[in-house]
Amino acid sequence: MRSSLRPRVLLAAAAALTLTGCGFSGTQTQSTQPSAAADTSQRIVVDNFRAPVANWAVESDAAYILSLSGCLETLTTYNQAEGKVLPSLATGWKQSSPLDWDFSIREGVKFQDGTDLTAESVVSALNHVLDAKVPARAFNRTMISSVTAVDARTVRVSTPAENPLVPYRLASVNTGILAPAAYKPEGLDPFGHCTGPFTPVSEKAKQSLTLDRNENYWGGDVQLAGAEVRFITNGPTRAAQVQTGEADISLSIPVASLAALKADKGVSVLGADSPRTATMYMNNGRAPLDNVDVRTAIRDALDLDALAASVYEGAALPATGPFAPSEPWAGEKQDKQQQDVEEARKLLAKAGYTADRPLEIIAIVERAEFADVAAVVQENLKNIGIPVTITSKEYASAEPDVMAGNYDMLLSQRNRLIDIADPIGFLTADYTCKGTYNLSHFCDAEYDRIIAEAASTVDTNERYKLYAEAGRILQDKAVNAWLVNEQATDATRTNVLNYVQDPLSRYVLTAKTAKAAS
Amino acid sequence: MLQFITKRTATLVAAVVVSSFAVFLIPYFTPGDPVRKIIRSRVAGDAVDDSAVQGLSESLGLDDPLAVQYFRWLGDFFSGDMGLSFVSRTPVAEQVLPALSVTLSLVTMSLVLAAAVALPLGILSGLRPGSVADKAITAVTQALIAMPEYWVAPVLVLVFALKLSVLPTAGWNDLSSAVLPALTLALRPISFFTSAVRAGIIDAAAAEHVPAARARGLSQGQAILRHVVPNGLVPLSTLFAVWFAGLLGGSVIVEVIFAVPGMGRLLFDAVVNSDIPLAQGGVVVVVALAVGVTTLADFVHRFLSRTVGGTLA
Repeated sequence: MRSSLRPRVLLAAAAALTLTGCGFSGTQTQSTQPSAAADTSQRIVVDNFRAPVANWAVESDAAYILSLSGCLETLTTYNQAEGKVLPSLATGWKQSSPLDWDFSIREGVKFQDGTDLTAESVVSALNHVLDAKVPARAFNRTMISSVTAVDARTVRVSTPAENPLVPYRLASVNTGILAPAAYKPEGLDPFGHCTGPFTPVSEKAKQSLTLDRNENYWGGDVQLAGAEVRFITNGPTRAAQVQTGEADISLSIPVASLAALKADKGVSVLGADSPRTATMYMNNGRAPLDNVDVRTAIRDALDLDALAASVYEGAALPATGPFAPSEPWAGEKQDKQQQDVEEARKLLAKAGYTADRPLEIIAIVERAEFADVAAVVQENLKNIGIPVTITSKEYASAEPDVMAGNYDMLLSQRNRLIDIADPIGFLTADYTCKGTYNLSHFCDAEYDRIIAEAASTVDTNERYKLYAEAGRILQDKAVNAWLVNEQATDATRTNVLNYVQDPLSRYVLTAKTAKAAS
Repeated sequence: MLQFITKRTATLVAAVVVSSFAVFLIPYFTPGDPVRKIIRSRVAGDAVDDSAVQGLSESLGLDDPLAVQYFRWLGDFFSGDMGLSFVSRTPVAEQVLPALSVTLSLVTMSLVLAAAVALPLGILSGLRPGSVADKAITAVTQALIAMPEYWVAPVLVLVFALKLSVLPTAGWNDLSSAVLPALTLALRPISFFTSAVRAGIIDAAAAEHVPAARARGLSQGQAILRHVVPNGLVPLSTLFAVWFAGLLGGSVIVEVIFAVPGMGRLLFDAVVNSDIPLAQGGVVVVVALAVGVTTLADFVHRFLSRTVGGTLA
């Protein structure tokens, strides 16, 4: 069995794929381009970093696994390269009133159990998500008031306040649509109940999900006979499996494995900006960090190039602000932060800071590299006369003090697009005066005004401009020190065709994903 | 015998109650809110909505006093119900039993492998203490203790999977996928077993009955086979049981590295995610098995001592 999975060396040469980008240059998503014919009898193995923990509950992160496996589909999808929402199970949508969005359900789509996709089945599926005890972040009763069928092919999603982002919310994997028979009292049963190009046929608990081609897929011919998605939580193991050929695609490759994979001719390494920026949160609500000059001095003191090169071994890029440069809302080209020790010292003197008020950095232990990051920051701040102590803590242990404002600085990272492919949730929760996750304890009336305006702006470009403006305020006021933009790194065997990297690992197996003949 | 069984049964019940209570308390005496941990185990990300915390807390009965929660679980347990996992909302037994089956297989393979290697090494070493072979065996086996599993496992993957391509890197599918995790887990027991067998053989060889047996006309080889080796193996049965009990829940590192869906991973995830019913169910099963195995080892030890002793009389 194993030998059939391992591509031969000659095949790698024959397949000879190229990458649309090279190395980690802060690019958008990368993909493998075909130069060999697809063999539709091939099966593929994907190593995923996440295992389902919630009995396939669609409102949980298990939905990511069903989505990346090519089983679960949503009304809309988010195209990372184009930066926009595209039709999927819905062919179109319109805002029929300030509080209502109508989605036209695609005709001719059948669930894998042979039943038809209808407005009623969509309503039933979305209401199941709304009724979940642990609600989905992207789609819950706080932002969705009801989901109803207008007619046999139209679904209306109503919101309590005008919300231009409803189509984005319906691209969230947590709003995936399954056949009514999937929703059982004992939990969700995805087997035979999806609409996607692959049908799950068996599961090895905590190990893998096996899928076969959906012969009746609405989106065209499926190029693979089937797939196995393995749940391998250990990063080095995922890297080793793609090297040996046991896996064809390995998601989220750890930094330590990159050099070996890049040197392997049978493997392609793909990198893209992830929506995560390693950040040193600063407590804007407590002295001395309530002084913008002190915060700016701290930011000026940091050598981000050295940090990215040393701790992150070049697999992350120095941050330019709260957003990654490739994000469409990042605004005009931003220069990376240059270390300026003299300026930092002047600002500290101006602020009246003295070394008898040492600062503490909390490095959360869930991210092992933060201990090293803290050491680098400690050294940088020592150069400008700020003594720093480092405390390592579990995030859960640090959270109560951080939320209560009893801390100085915290090393952490947040996913800006954790709920939907738009940063509104992040910018609201993390930086508005009433934000529910405002670790920085930052409050600025102008910022709040801009975010409120963005939240009701339908035009995407205009909304992105407002986000950029909000980002500039955060940067100008040195609310936090944004350290490095993390990279999402996947690896594939070179005979994998048409793989388009998604930094959030929502879409991996599609009808077009293929393998060259062996 | 009846007294022995009664005593061991009481030990088992006490162990179940104490261990389940200790596990029950872990989420409440470690930093962070247990309900938030449960939510974060289902939905990645730091920001957790307060209304979700409140709703889940009520639905799981976590608002009740700790004593009420614990005795509710204990009552259900002794009536045969291990409850539902807080995270997956599936029966705990449905998760524990498959994981236990995997771990039992893995641990048995590891310890049988360890014993198979340690026996000849320990006997050879014990029969010629101070010899070059003894020194070499002692040095190598002692070195194994200093090799942590998180280092040994990747080295074995590098050699056998990446360089030689003879074994899979991870998974739990067939016998070949069990080789590397079993070998990794076996290394430290090999060391301890070898030392125990060596010491047992040296003691047995020094006993008075060996020269007596020679005087009765047995050759050196016959005396060793009949009297030294059996006596030398007696300590191994106890050591085997102790390692067996320890590895039932203590193989988490190996299970994570090799993607083995066993008890170590299950217990680790359950504790990290504050999945109290799953952690309690898992620990109780492990503790019960550990007590059972060590009791069995006591029987075996007594039987062997008596049997071996009988041949000496």
